[in-house]
Amino acid sequence: MNVIPLFVAIPLAAAFFIPMVSQKFRWVPDLLGNLTAFALLVMAVSVIGKKDVYIMGGWAPPIGINLVLDGLSVLMLITISLVGFTATLFSIRYMEQYTSKLRYYSLFLLMMGGMNGVALSGDMFNIFVFLEIASVASYALVGFGCEHEELEASFKYLVLGSVASTLILLGVAVIYGSLGSLNMAHVSRLIVEQGMNKALYFSLTLLVMGFSLKAALVPFHAWLPDAHPSAPAPISAMLSGVLIKVLGVYALLRISFNVFGMSPLLANILIWLGTISMVVGGLLALGQWDYKRLLAYSSISQVGYVVLAVGIGGAVVSRGDSMTVAGLAIGGGLFHLINHAAFKSLLFLSSGAIVYSTGTRDLRKMGGLKDRMPLTSGAANIGAFSISGIPPFNGFWSKLVIIIAAVQARYYWLALTAVLISVITLAYYLKLQRHAFFGPASENNRDVREVPLSMCIPMVLLAVLCVGMGLLLLPGPRAEILQPAVDALTMGMKYATVILGR
Amino acid sequence: MDLMLYPIVLPIAVGLLCLAMPRRVKGIVERTALIVSITIFGLTVFLFSQKPLHWMWDANRFLRLDNLSGFVLLAVGLFGFLIVLYSIVFMRDKIYSNIYYAYLLCTIGIASGIVLANDLVLLAVFWGLSGLTLYLMIGIAGAGASAAAKKALVIVGGADSLMILGIAIVWFLMGSFTIDRISLPVVGLLPVIAFLCLAIAAFAKVGAMPFHSWIPETAEKSSIAVTAFLPASLDKLLGIYLLARITMDLFIMDKTLGLLLMIVGSLTIVAAVMMALVQNDLKRLLGYLVVAGAGYMVLGLGTGTPAGIAGGLFYLLNSAIWTACLFLSAGAVEDRANTTDLERLGGWGPVMPITFVVCLVSGLAISGIPPFNGFVSKWMIYQGLIELGRGGDGLWFVWLVAAMFGSALTLACIIRLIHATFLGQVARMPDEVRDANSEVSPSMWLPMIVLAGLCVVFGVFAYAVPLKHLIIPAVPGVSYLGFWSPGLATLLIVVGVLAGVVIYFVGRASNVKESEAFIGGELLREGMRVSGVDFYRTIRDFGLFGNAYKGAERSLFDIYDLGGRFLFYFVQGLRRIHSGILPTYLSWMLVGFTVLLFVFMG
Repeated sequence: MNVIPLFVAIPLAAAFFIPMVSQKFRWVPDLLGNLTAFALLVMAVSVIGKKDVYIMGGWAPPIGINLVLDGLSVLMLITISLVGFTATLFSIRYMEQYTSKLRYYSLFLLMMGGMNGVALSGDMFNIFVFLEIASVASYALVGFGCEHEELEASFKYLVLGSVASTLILLGVAVIYGSLGSLNMAHVSRLIVEQGMNKALYFSLTLLVMGFSLKAALVPFHAWLPDAHPSAPAPISAMLSGVLIKVLGVYALLRISFNVFGMSPLLANILIWLGTISMVVGGLLALGQWDYKRLLAYSSISQVGYVVLAVGIGGAVVSRGDSMTVAGLAIGGGLFHLINHAAFKSLLFLSSGAIVYSTGTRDLRKMGGLKDRMPLTSGAANIGAFSISGIPPFNGFWSKLVIIIAAVQARYYWLALTAVLISVITLAYYLKLQRHAFFGPASENNRDVREVPLSMCIPMVLLAVLCVGMGLLLLPGPRAEILQPAVDALTMGMKYATVILGR
Repeated sequence: MDLMLYPIVLPIAVGLLCLAMPRRVKGIVERTALIVSITIFGLTVFLFSQKPLHWMWDANRFLRLDNLSGFVLLAVGLFGFLIVLYSIVFMRDKIYSNIYYAYLLCTIGIASGIVLANDLVLLAVFWGLSGLTLYLMIGIAGAGASAAAKKALVIVGGADSLMILGIAIVWFLMGSFTIDRISLPVVGLLPVIAFLCLAIAAFAKVGAMPFHSWIPETAEKSSIAVTAFLPASLDKLLGIYLLARITMDLFIMDKTLGLLLMIVGSLTIVAAVMMALVQNDLKRLLGYLVVAGAGYMVLGLGTGTPAGIAGGLFYLLNSAIWTACLFLSAGAVEDRANTTDLERLGGWGPVMPITFVVCLVSGLAISGIPPFNGFVSKWMIYQGLIELGRGGDGLWFVWLVAAMFGSALTLACIIRLIHATFLGQVARMPDEVRDANSEVSPSMWLPMIVLAGLCVVFGVFAYAVPLKHLIIPAVPGVSYLGFWSPGLATLLIVVGVLAGVVIYFVGRASNVKESEAFIGGELLREGMRVSGVDFYRTIRDFGLFGNAYKGAERSLFDIYDLGGRFLFYFVQGLRRIHSGILPTYLSWMLVGFTVLLFVFMG
């Protein structure tokens, strides 16, 4: 039996099954949620290195629907399920503070199913459908606490997100109107044969904007600093760790490299969006005193890094320069993407642990937590060192690759900007460490205790990943995980031939 | 495993092991640290005797020990051992000592890695790691030091990012990461940027201006053993090692960049010494002297003449010795007096004779008084400058004056320091200290005596021992302009001192009038105390200096604070437009969409 459809089917089925279970057994949702997430993780690990196309119901594309598993999708699936699993584990105790765990897990799994669907889907319309599933679930989860602030954030997110979704739908419709097909491989082939026209450019504009909003690239970022901090911590981890990357970055890269084809113009747009996000997000994070808000702005900045690096790779591809340099830039970007998933979800989980113990998100009211919460602070410090690019943690390696690639591609000023922003990143994460963990202990925190073990385990797990993920750059693991993902993008319009098989 | 890997792997492995140890086994951790550090020191001596060495991996020369890295490695081993020895007693009462030894050992391993690395990426990794351990070790002193730790890592770690950029450019131009295969002329924009990036990394590490501001702060706030080990000795060694490596090996220098180095060096010397002059805290004062020392080395390397470079490197070795020694004696004083405020110190000389003598010797050494090592190394730097002048450089005189001026002011600082701490009127001492024999324990004064002894030996036998075996092999083509014969000079100095003693006693036999001590024409009354802290206060009354000091107090010369203020301006602006109003956000989207549409369709 083919495992590919199960990535979508299992979480969706579990999402609908959980609310039907009787409320009498309170541990049932925890168990089911965690089991599903764990199963997805096992499945994701099992498909490493595989490439496959699954055709729904035997209807061959371009007429039927297909799911595509290639290097990039595998990378996404692993990231989603890994962060998803740690988040559900963390939720067991953390979500006790909220009312309905049934609904929580149900929404959570809907979101996961939607993201898996986006990562696997081989046609434009299904990307939209899965994107909407994940988005709608995330709107609800952001407002899950039902307090004033959370509902407001959720509403803003809903409005801005819906605008983006609508634009994406319009973009999909325009593609269908002008090419008569929605299968991505087929569309790609048609574009190679017929060339771009005004309608397709219009559609590309709509899609780039829609996905940029989902990826929270400046100036489409405004929803994120409200939504990510307001959500419950494990949801913040999911949103910052994977949602913006799958719905935004992944979809953006897929359509720009494989469907429409990289052009210098498109590459420049990506580079600009990435650079502006990197700078603006970094500067805004510097001024924050709210632990989670700081992390949220930092997400904007870090996603900017990813898009910038991949954009540089795209520019090299489109001008037909050395594929090694392009591979280096894209590889650096994708590596940073998974690294960011690890350390940002770690940091958001740690914010949850701190809120759980101290009841505050304000850095000025924390202090001295190093001794009170040794595990949390140890893990969070590793996360902060990673994201600031300090060796031997994973962020250092992706930073290194991105800077080297930018210089190789002759984008010296961008390399310099990336370096300067990394100094700013270091500054605000050291500020966070100093005020939360190392600085003088605050009066309020005298009775603070470490969080329960089931909340520590996911953080420690992610911290271990942050330490070890640098090993992915070694030749063996790189050929298994990163290189197939890079190849999926650098092959560009050959995507059509690979998928359609002709 | 190759022997060259041991100084890197062994301390790091043991250090990580110590990190996992529970607090109960503190004694074992201390002993392990001591044994490992002795082993590493022995190993570095052995490796030094075997040089040149290299270690290949996958056809790349990853590690290399040549004449330059040889003596730096030796110094790393020596300082590691001495600091561990000193810490055994100094850190005894502090609960964090397990972590402290873990970090200390890791730092030794990382420093060996930097010195041995022959691959730029490897160098960058170790460089970043050393910044991390610096941060962690400063932070060990507790909550009070967390701000200083943050500042140190922002500056050092930020410079590390620039270093990566420099390395990326070098790779782009040369296609290689292997240091001994690279030789890049500094001509054109890219090589200059690459050079500046790497030089800034070195500047931040040694604290050359304008990247100096973390050092005085660290010296004041963090534990003295940490300061003596890291900013005062190890970071100096590593930073100047990198600077020497890039100026001598990696890049083919040109005149302008040498000029830049000399400007940075002279500015650092003069400004840091001026700041040291008015400090009221023993540790902070020494911190500024550390910064000034960095200036001499940068100046020496900037001359580009063999004598100047050799002088800079010799100064590096010597300054690591004397600043570590000064900090360790300051630590001994702090251990007894529980304060480092010069105002509240005084009269500790008779109570702590060993510390006093050691501090005096290293103080005279740093001021460049013959026959100590400071004189020889400064003399060599001056020679380098004069040689530069003969080569047709018109500005050599400026640098020479700056260096000599700095030297004189350093002596002034040291006199004030010695007076306020060890001489002068007796300050209030803790009761249990005053009566007993208050010298610190042998494991604390032993490292101090070793270092002070080195100050003397490296001065008196400068040409016979350190220069011949350590420095000259590392710098090709050194010739001496003026030969200074330290042995004879020492003899003359000793004879002169003896003669003075004889005259003193003979003169005393005849008529000497003694009276009560008085100050400003008035006899001292009971309870009145003049600490000697205000020796040079009048310097603030000069218009130019006064303004400079006021600026420094408002940290106008601090790149960290300035950068913070500059960015704050942008941050405030950006925060103001993030008003949280939905229609505003929607309008941004619209603007973004319009721009995209224009770009794609236009």
